[in-house]
Amino acid sequence: MTGLYTLLQINQLNNTAENYFPIGVQIIFAIGFVATMIGLSALVGPKRKTSDKLENFSSGIASHGNARQPMAVKYFLIAILFVLFDVEVIFFYPYAVNFKFLGWAGFWEIVLFVVLFLIGFIYIIKKGALQWED
Amino acid sequence: MNAIIFSVIGGVVMMFTGIITQQKKAIRNVAIIALIILLLANIFDTYGILSIHIGTHGMLNFQKFGLYFNTLAYAATLLFILISGADVTQIGEGKHAAEFFALIFFSLSGIAIITSYNSLLLLFLGIEIMSIPLYILTGGDKRNLKSNEASLKYFLMGSFSTGILLMGIALMYGAHGGFEISAMKPSAVSNEYGILDPLGLVLVFIAIAFKVSAAPFHFWTPDVYDGSPSVFTSFMATIIKAAGFIAFIRLFDNKYVELGLSWRIILPLVIIATLLVGNITAIFQQSVKRMMAYSSIAQAGFMLFAVFAENDMAKEGILIYTVAYSVATIGIFAVLEKMEDISLAGYNGLAKKHPLLAATNTIFLLSLTGIPLTAGFFAKYYMLLSVIKYGGSTVTWLVIVAVIFAAISAYYYFRVIQAMYFKTGNPEVRSYNKGFCFMLVILAAITILIGIFPTIILNWFYF
Repeated sequence: MTGLYTLLQINQLNNTAENYFPIGVQIIFAIGFVATMIGLSALVGPKRKTSDKLENFSSGIASHGNARQPMAVKYFLIAILFVLFDVEVIFFYPYAVNFKFLGWAGFWEIVLFVVLFLIGFIYIIKKGALQWED
Repeated sequence: MNAIIFSVIGGVVMMFTGIITQQKKAIRNVAIIALIILLLANIFDTYGILSIHIGTHGMLNFQKFGLYFNTLAYAATLLFILISGADVTQIGEGKHAAEFFALIFFSLSGIAIITSYNSLLLLFLGIEIMSIPLYILTGGDKRNLKSNEASLKYFLMGSFSTGILLMGIALMYGAHGGFEISAMKPSAVSNEYGILDPLGLVLVFIAIAFKVSAAPFHFWTPDVYDGSPSVFTSFMATIIKAAGFIAFIRLFDNKYVELGLSWRIILPLVIIATLLVGNITAIFQQSVKRMMAYSSIAQAGFMLFAVFAENDMAKEGILIYTVAYSVATIGIFAVLEKMEDISLAGYNGLAKKHPLLAATNTIFLLSLTGIPLTAGFFAKYYMLLSVIKYGGSTVTWLVIVAVIFAAISAYYYFRVIQAMYFKTGNPEVRSYNKGFCFMLVILAAITILIGIFPTIILNWFYF
């Protein structure tokens, strides 16, 4: 219990409730402003309900069918594989920043990393995961 | 380091074997050869011959205990593939045999990490590398609804527990300013942040307790073990579970001091709850597979004694327990895989038609109960002795409770023996070959051999 107490005290040293007051005011103002504007436009504005207006917007093209229908799993497969190789790039940024500092040791490690990814890539292609037609 | 590298290479080799060939026998043989190479590489590493060293900046700390456990786990996996490898290749219309083996190898690399971690980050990575292949293996029979359900449940609950693990690690990092457990000394904790460390430790405890299915966190176990293909249940319930306990022991070896007295209250409560839930619920099961799921919870209760005692005896005990429990459970699941009807009634009269299956199954069940002359007896003996050595007369009550639950467990294990020998029925058994019989006899022989000479495992440890 004493530990918890000290923990609370630490919080009080840096952040008192007063410090958060302006933020609170701003949140209340933001919510109030948006609610008022939307409410006003709904109350004051003219209402013309036509069937065209209530339709889902799809870039001006007439929509047809239901959105909830089964999709080919290939889309998901390709999307996930894309994400996998996309995320790989993130790991290159820290390496690029420290390129000179890491030297040859860093280079061989990044080569190992790329080789492992390449192995995965070859595996995917050989397995036919990127083949669109059956 | 050998174990980590070779298991990953083994996994990659298995992946490409699946591309080159679809022959199930070839795939299985490649897996066995890769596993033998992995086993040898790890044994060489244990004794410092031909070991690969890579600078890990103190994130991994290879000790003989962890490496020796790897050897035992890989040997158990080898036995598992030798006896059930053919069944692994049949799952899911038999199209993905090589991938299943690849996933098993990746899981083994996770085990190698959690038996040697020093940084909490690697504990996290190791647990994830070990678990993620299991989520897939659980759903391996992909046209089967139950398998799918089990996989989804396991994945959701598992990722939730991972979140708790990360939260605990974050709090411990906050308290110590680092991830290395060897650098975490109670005195290094300043008083201001005193609560963060025990709180983080308890959260990590919850997460690992989930992985080994200790009592308040066991709810996923029956459904997942029941739903997944029997061969993978066998792998999950034995090798993976034992590895979880090594993670436990490595973490709490030098950390439990900080929890002080409360640790001595939490852990017995968890142990007793685990024994209670596992044993009492197992009694009411009609399906042998589901009974084995609850039995694995009950066995986890016994293995938790090693975490409680925290002495050398406990470490020796967990090694013997791993072998005894793994060998017996792999054997029982191998027989279960051959049964058409896995309910208790399906075993009726097995002894008349297939005497070898019934006899070896009886030995495995006796071992799980802990009858002398089987490995299970010495496993339980070492566990309880380590607790007595730790606490003397102050923990006698805990030992008595454990023995009572061990006696209760005899009821449901013996019910299977009773069904096999004393009831009449017409059990339908899938065809099995001579090699399968040979492996069953080998497993039974190991069980009895360790039951007579338990020190043969430990001699190698101190060799």
